[in-house]
Amino acid sequence: MTGKFTTIREAVVDGEDEKAALLVEEALAEGLPPLEILNQGVIAGISKTGELWKANEYFLPDVILSADAFKSAMVVLEPALKEGSDGKPSHKVVIGVVEGDMHDLGKSLIIALLQSAGFEVIDLGIDVPKDKFIAAVRDYNPAIVGLGAYMSTTMLEMKEIIAELTKQGLRDSVKVMVGGVPTSQEFADEVGADAWGKDAMVAMEKALELVGGQNG
Amino acid sequence: MANPTLETIHGLVYGNGIRVGKLSNLGRVIATMMGKHADRVPFMGPQIHDHAMTVAKVPARLYYWDSQLLLDVHLAINRWYGFDTGTIIADAYNFEVEALGAKFIYSDTAMPTVDTNHPLINERSDLDKIGPLDVTKGRIPMATELAGIITKKVPGPFGQGFFCSPFSLICQAMGYPKAVRAIKRDRGFAQELFDYVENDVIFPFMKAQNAAGAKASVGADAWAAFPNLTPDLVDEWVVPSAERLAARGKKELNMTVSAGLAGCDYCEEDPAKFNKEIMFECWDVACKTMFLDVAFSGMGRTQDWNMEWLQEYAISHGKGRRKLPIFASLNGRFIRDSAPEVIVEKIREWIEIMGRDGGLLFFIGNVPADSPPLNIHTAVQAVRVLGKYPIVENLSSIKIETKAYQPFDEWLKGQPEEEIILKAREWKP
Repeated sequence: MTGKFTTIREAVVDGEDEKAALLVEEALAEGLPPLEILNQGVIAGISKTGELWKANEYFLPDVILSADAFKSAMVVLEPALKEGSDGKPSHKVVIGVVEGDMHDLGKSLIIALLQSAGFEVIDLGIDVPKDKFIAAVRDYNPAIVGLGAYMSTTMLEMKEIIAELTKQGLRDSVKVMVGGVPTSQEFADEVGADAWGKDAMVAMEKALELVGGQNG
Repeated sequence: MANPTLETIHGLVYGNGIRVGKLSNLGRVIATMMGKHADRVPFMGPQIHDHAMTVAKVPARLYYWDSQLLLDVHLAINRWYGFDTGTIIADAYNFEVEALGAKFIYSDTAMPTVDTNHPLINERSDLDKIGPLDVTKGRIPMATELAGIITKKVPGPFGQGFFCSPFSLICQAMGYPKAVRAIKRDRGFAQELFDYVENDVIFPFMKAQNAAGAKASVGADAWAAFPNLTPDLVDEWVVPSAERLAARGKKELNMTVSAGLAGCDYCEEDPAKFNKEIMFECWDVACKTMFLDVAFSGMGRTQDWNMEWLQEYAISHGKGRRKLPIFASLNGRFIRDSAPEVIVEKIREWIEIMGRDGGLLFFIGNVPADSPPLNIHTAVQAVRVLGKYPIVENLSSIKIETKAYQPFDEWLKGQPEEEIILKAREWKP
C-alpha cells in the first residue's frame, strides 16, 4: 500500500502527468481509500515539490510539470473524494485577475496549491471586472478573495475593488489577498489588503494563516 | 559635439584612461562600459513606457499606436529625469502575436496585451494555419516606423528597433506552461516552434525594420529570466536561437540583431533563496545573450541582493585589469514603494561597493506606471552627486537633498515635444 502512495508521490514530484493519473486509477481500483491516496500520494507529492522549490532544487519549469501531474491525478481522484466526503465544508477562495489584465500563470499555480491545501477555489478567470468580484463575494461568501495583476497599470484596479467591498459592506466578511509581478508588501498595505503573496507557495501559506488552520 | 560617432570615440578614449575633454552623456556610458570610470557614474534610461504615458497624461489608445507620440513622450520624460541614455520601447512583447491574430485586450489606460487564455498556438498544425508574419498587419507598421525614426532622431549605439525574442514570443503565442512543456517534453515540437518564430515571424519583422532604416534591433526575453528558465535551459534553447538570428541578420541584412536579452536575468523573489552559485551561473549565461560581456542585474529583487557578489563577479570575469561593466538595476517596485531617503541610501551602498573602481552603470528595472516622480528624480540626483569621480573617501558624509522637482507640465513648456503631447491629451477615440 505504501509503495503505491510512494509511486504516486514520485510521479507528481517528477511531473509525470499521465503516470500520476494512471497510478491513481490503479490505486482506486485496488480499493485504497481516496482520502489516503490524496494525502499520502498526491498532496505529499505537491508538498515535496514545494520543499524542493524552497530549497532551490526545483525551478519554475519543474513546478509547472509537477502541478500538471497534480491536476491530472486530481481529475481522477475528485469524483471518488466527493463520493466519500463527510460533508465538512472547506474554506472557499474566490480568485481572479483584475480587469484589463490577461496574465494568469501565477493564478494557475496558486489555484493548484490552494486546492492541494484543501481550499475550494472559485476561479473567476482573467480580465475580471470589479462588479464580478463583488458579486462572487456576495454569492459564494468566501473566506478569501484573491486579486492578481501583472501590469503596474492594471494593479491599481485592486484598490477600487477593495474600496467597493467596503462600500458594499462586505469587507469585514472576507480577507483580501493580492499578488502578481508588480505588487509588493508596500502596495498591499497601501491598498488595504490583508496579505500579499510574493509567489504561489507563500500565497498558499498566507491563505492558511488567514483562515487560521493547517488545512483550507 | 552632438555627433554620436565622435562621442563614442571620446568615450572609448576616456575609458582607456586618457581623461581629456568634457564627456557627453553617450561618451560617459561608453567610457564606463570599458570597465573603467568616467567623470561620474551614468544613469541609463530604463524601460519606462507605462510610467512615461502616465506622467505625460496621454491616452493609451493613441500612445501605443502612434510612433511619433511614443518617441516624443520618451524623449521628453528621459530629459526631464536627466537620464544619460534612453530606452525607447513600446512594450516589446505584444506586437508580433497581435499581428499574427492572437486575441487581445485593449484598455484606455494600459498597453494592449495578449490573452493567453485563448492561445494562438495549441498544436503543430496551428503553425501552418497562422502562417508567416504579415508586416502590414496590426501595429507592426507602427513598430517598424518607430525603429526608423529612432534611428534618425536618436542616432548612436542605443537607438534601435525592438522585437519579442523567440522564447518569449512562443510564450505569448501559447502560454508559458505550454512552452515549458514543449521544451521539457517534446523537443521536436519545441524546435519547430523556435524555427517558426525565428524564420517566419522575427526575421520578416527585422527585414521591415531594416527597410525603415534601422541598423540594429534588440529582442527582450523576460519569459526566459530565472527562475522561469534555468541557466541550462537558456543555454540549450535561448542562446543558440539568439546566435542564429544574429548570424542571419548580419548576413542577409547587415543588421545587428540581439535576441534573448534578459534571458537568465536572476529574478528570484525570495531573499531566503538567494544563492551565489546560481546567480553566478545566471550571469554567465546572461552574458551570452547581451551585446557585450557585462555583470547584469535587471528586473530582480536587487534591493535585497548582496552586491559584493556582483562586484566579485565583475572583477573575477573581467579581462586584463578591467572588470566587467556592472549594470546595477534598481528594482522598479523598490523605486515605486520606497521613501526617497531609502533610495538614496541604497545608491550610496551600491556606489560604495561597486563604484569606486568604475565600471558601474545604474538603471531601473522597468518603471511602474504609478512610481512617484520624486523618487526617480532623487535617484538620478543621488547617482550624479555620490557617483562623481573620484568618489569621496567618506561617502556617508555627502547629504542628498530630496527637494521638490519642477512638475512635468511646467517643464514641458517650450520643449520641442510640448505640442504633440498637449495635442494628444485632447485626442478622442
